[in-house]
Amino acid sequence: MPEETKHGMQCPEFDAMLMDAIDRVLSSAQQARFEAHARMCPSCGPIFAEVDAGRLWLKSIEEVEPPVHLVQNILASTTGISSARLALGGEPSQTPLSERMREWFDVWIRPGFTAVRQPRFALSFGMIFFSFSVGLSASGLKAKDLAQISLRPSAVKHTYYSTQAKVVKYYENIRLVYEVESRVNQVKRVITPAEPAPAEKQQNRNNDTSGKPEQRQERNSSRDVNQPVLASLPSPSVTMATLSWRLV
Amino acid sequence: MEDAQVVSLLVRRCTTGDAAAWEEIVQRYHRRIYNMCYRFAGSADDAQDLTQEVFIKMYRTLKSYDVDRGAFLTWVTTVTRNLLVDHFRKTKHDRITDSLDSPASEHEDALPLSEQIADTGLPPDARVQSHETQRTVHQALLKLSPDLREAVILRDLQDMDYREIALALRVPEGTVKSRINRGRAELARLLQRTYRQVM
Ligand SMILES: [Zn+2]
Repeated sequence: MPEETKHGMQCPEFDAMLMDAIDRVLSSAQQARFEAHARMCPSCGPIFAEVDAGRLWLKSIEEVEPPVHLVQNILASTTGISSARLALGGEPSQTPLSERMREWFDVWIRPGFTAVRQPRFALSFGMIFFSFSVGLSASGLKAKDLAQISLRPSAVKHTYYSTQAKVVKYYENIRLVYEVESRVNQVKRVITPAEPAPAEKQQNRNNDTSGKPEQRQERNSSRDVNQPVLASLPSPSVTMATLSWRLV
Repeated sequence: MEDAQVVSLLVRRCTTGDAAAWEEIVQRYHRRIYNMCYRFAGSADDAQDLTQEVFIKMYRTLKSYDVDRGAFLTWVTTVTRNLLVDHFRKTKHDRITDSLDSPASEHEDALPLSEQIADTGLPPDARVQSHETQRTVHQALLKLSPDLREAVILRDLQDMDYREIALALRVPEGTVKSRINRGRAELARLLQRTYRQVM
């Protein structure tokens, strides 16, 4: 077309220069020729406008944030561990794991272990362990179960709640026994004519409980004596302790 | 040390089973790959699955990467692109014809991070409008043919040069340029149509 040659450029040349024009890498003389053709040519002009507009639209797109666990998931699905840094125990500590385990053992386990090895403590510790295991099996928890515990978060949550439910049930049963016991004592008190003062009565009752160490008695007598004994224990752990002491 | 040297050293360490080196590679490239997958596949869920697949593929084939044959980024892009094309072929049949008004995906629901962190100073209307615009452009991009879409993503979103794109897509540079231009023009026409309808 005469007009195109008049501007010193033909459509194929315009097409070839399009990318450089968009990237703004043409010399000023070339740019002027290119723009002149774009203004005059009815087919090339809109193409340049569209391509440039498209580029600007694309440039307006912002980067999105990957999900927070993506890196961990990738590492878990490739190496099988969620972080090599974590697995190596962090960079600042260069002590090997075995060394750190031994230190930990020396500080926390060995002193207690030495005490346990003394004959006078050995029996007591043995009995505590025995009563603890009796307590656990009474609450329905067996050593066999421990081996089958699943460590998936949902399973751990389930195990936690079911164990909690068992302990609460066990505690409620014990509570009932003591409740009945204290009611029986109240009835006894009513039908016995020469009734000592409540504090003394409490003391007597405790003294009657043979096999209880002195500590336990002191603890009971220091409590509010009008309270029905043990029926309102604050937590299952105290009940467990009482049970242990009785067995010892 | 130059970035390319650092990366080739990391790759070499990885091939000897160095887990920390692999983690470093994942840290360096996951954002880039995730964004490429997200813009190509369209949804955050697909992008997450695809990014994971890309890294699994990379982890298995890392030994096949030849440092002398090209930049690591080109290799990573090729692996990603091949998986994206496979994914596109697999999902072609169950893909619903999406319109620019289709429901927003996860990232379009949330404002861009830059706007979450610092208030850009724009009035609320302008911010909502910018959020809307992001969504509209994203949807329009998904309407481009895969050839044009990948070309503009690599050029305008990932800032790769023509040579790198040509190597990653295994087509001549001239073809790359032509696809980029056609992709941009097509996108502009789609958006022009959308905004004309709105106005
Ligand atoms: Zn022309």
